[in-house]
Order: sequence, then structure tokens, then C-alpha cells
Amino acid sequence: MRIHYRLMGAAALFAVVATPLSAQAQKGPPTAVVVSGPEPGAKAPDFRLPWATKDSIGSVADDFVLRNARGKTVVLAFYPADFTSGCTAELKAFTDRYDELFGEGVEVVGISTDSLETHRRFAASLGAPFKLLSDPSQRVARTYGSKGDTNARRTVYVIDPSGTITYRDMRFGALDPRAYDALQKAVREARGG
Amino acid sequence: MTTVHPVARRASYTRVLVHVLVACALLAASAGRAAAQDEGIAVGSAAPAVTVPALDGTPVDLARYIGKKPVLIEFWATWCTSCQAMMPRLTAMHERFGGEVEFIGINVTISETREGVAAYVKEHAPPFLTLYDEAGEGARAYNPPATSFIVIADRSGRIVYTGAGGTQNLEPALLAVTGRASPTNGKE
Repeated sequence: MRIHYRLMGAAALFAVVATPLSAQAQKGPPTAVVVSGPEPGAKAPDFRLPWATKDSIGSVADDFVLRNARGKTVVLAFYPADFTSGCTAELKAFTDRYDELFGEGVEVVGISTDSLETHRRFAASLGAPFKLLSDPSQRVARTYGSKGDTNARRTVYVIDPSGTITYRDMRFGALDPRAYDALQKAVREARGG
Repeated sequence: MTTVHPVARRASYTRVLVHVLVACALLAASAGRAAAQDEGIAVGSAAPAVTVPALDGTPVDLARYIGKKPVLIEFWATWCTSCQAMMPRLTAMHERFGGEVEFIGINVTISETREGVAAYVKEHAPPFLTLYDEAGEGARAYNPPATSFIVIADRSGRIVYTGAGGTQNLEPALLAVTGRASPTNGKE
């Protein structure tokens, strides 16, 4: 039995050491994130978050509640931070190509840890025609497997009108044109054609 | 109560250890992939020699440069303020190192048009060979976390520097890949 404990101890030590090493090899501070979150086919976990648009900040009584969007196709876009160039690229593309990528009847929401006032200014700088939700504790990001060390990771979910997840990209490439093509196709399929 | 022969027990422990170590290795590899998402291609890895079209659509195979001479690649966009902030620095670095280092600017094509980029290049004359990554070959190979992401590879094609933002100090890496002594020791 003593050998058994030694073996398990060695394995535990390896787990502690190997995980940060693999992250450090990618440069920057050690981070360890295991991809999780609901997969396509699952019901989208409900949540409630405050929001801002380019024009205003939503009232407390008017939080975004996912289940209230039933009947619409919903796109959840988790991203690291407002006003950073990768996120600007992503949300600028969503804005510039809104009709082409999403179309009428689709509810697009961006989600990051930023404050509502920062969201309002960011949305205004882009002219974004969609809501940005504030998730400072990453509670919702964690539910959707998108939690990072200090900021959310860049992921995208498509939810069909029945509330079922039909697509997810857990490493959305903000600078990869094909990532947008795949999202467009997924939204079209979720809308039923 | 059953007794287990010591040899059989040892074999059982070894199997447990192997399973646990494999699980840990998979977890570590998964963590590395996830962490890489917003950090871009790793320093120390080989610069991918992908083919990306020039502004006129002509395919440009980066193998023409990578592994043959030092290379600097910036992933940029006309609307990127950090890229605009880096432009004077890139111009200054190109004046000093352009004879030995190939400067390449891969336009990310997000919220861009070929005509718009061509007009921008004509007006601002950025100090690099401009490529237009409309199929995303460059983006998928280098995983740039942001526009203004710069990669510098040495003569062997090994990446020695990556960074992003409008205040990057490229001089130490360029001195290193050109084999020159550093007069500033990397400090601005």
C-alpha cells in the first residue's frame, strides 16, 4: 500500500508541475484552462446579466435573461476585453457584417468582464447594433466553459429558437476569416435554413 | 479474503501509475492549447512557411524567406490604432535592418476590402511587403491574438520574438537575428 501512495504522490506532483509548464511554453504567465461548457445538443444554461448598448445602459429591472430570448436564434460571444485589438476586430466584423452574418430575428450578445460604462463607450466606438453584457465575476463565462484567468476566453455559441445549443467554437479566431464563415453558416442553420 | 502475489500487485500499481500519468499529460496538453488561444504562436517554435496572396492576388510562399534570412511579420489592419502607432517604429527598424531582414505585413482582411488596403498602402507606404490573408492561412498558422501582432524569426526560421501593441521595442530581437551587438541593451 505504501508503494501505491508513493505512485499516487508522484503522479500528483507531475500533475502540478506539468500543467503550468505546458502553459509557460506558450509564453506569458502560467495559465491552465481546460475546455468545458455545454456542447451542441444541450439546452443552453439560463443566465441573467446587465447590459449596455451604444446608446444606453439597461436598467436593473431590464437585465438580459437568456430564457426570455426563446423563439429567437441567439449568438453568445465571450471575449477578453473591450478596446483591445483582437476584440475590436471581432466585434467590428460583427458590426460591419451584421446583416450578412446574422440577419433579422437573431439576438447577438457580447460578454466580457468590462463595466457597463466601458461597454457603452466600446459599443459606441464601433456603432455596434447589439448588446454587450457585463460578467465581472465570470460566473456565466465559467458556466459556458469560457472563463479565463482574469478575462473571458474568446468563444462563440449559437443557440436555436428552442434554446438548444447548435454550434460552439471554443477558440474563435478573431483574425481568421473562416471563423466568421463557419459562424454565418451555423447561424443560418439554427434559423432553419 | 484473497491474497495478491507481490509481483502481480506491483504490476497493478504500475498500470495505475501509467493511467494517471497519461491523464495528467492529456490535461497538461489541453491546458497548453487553451492557454495558447490568446497568446499567439510560441517563441522557440518554427515559423510556418504558409502561402498568402499578395494584394494583387499573386500567391506568396513564405518559404521564399523563412529559413533563408531573418523575417519580421506583422499582422495588421488599416483600422488598427496600435498598428498605426507601430508604423514609425517599423519604418525606423526597416531603415536599419531592412537590408538583412525581410519585413512582411499580413493584412488580416477583417473588416477590410482589397481596394481599401491598396489605397492605404499607396498613401502610407508601410515598410513591408503587403500580403492580403483573405483565406486566413496566415491567421491559422500564427494564431495572432490581436492586430499589431509581430513575429520575428531568425535565419534558421526559429521564432525569437512575438508581441503586440503600439509600443513594442523590436530592436533587441532585430539586433539578435542580425548578429549585431546591442547598443541599448534592449532598453529604450
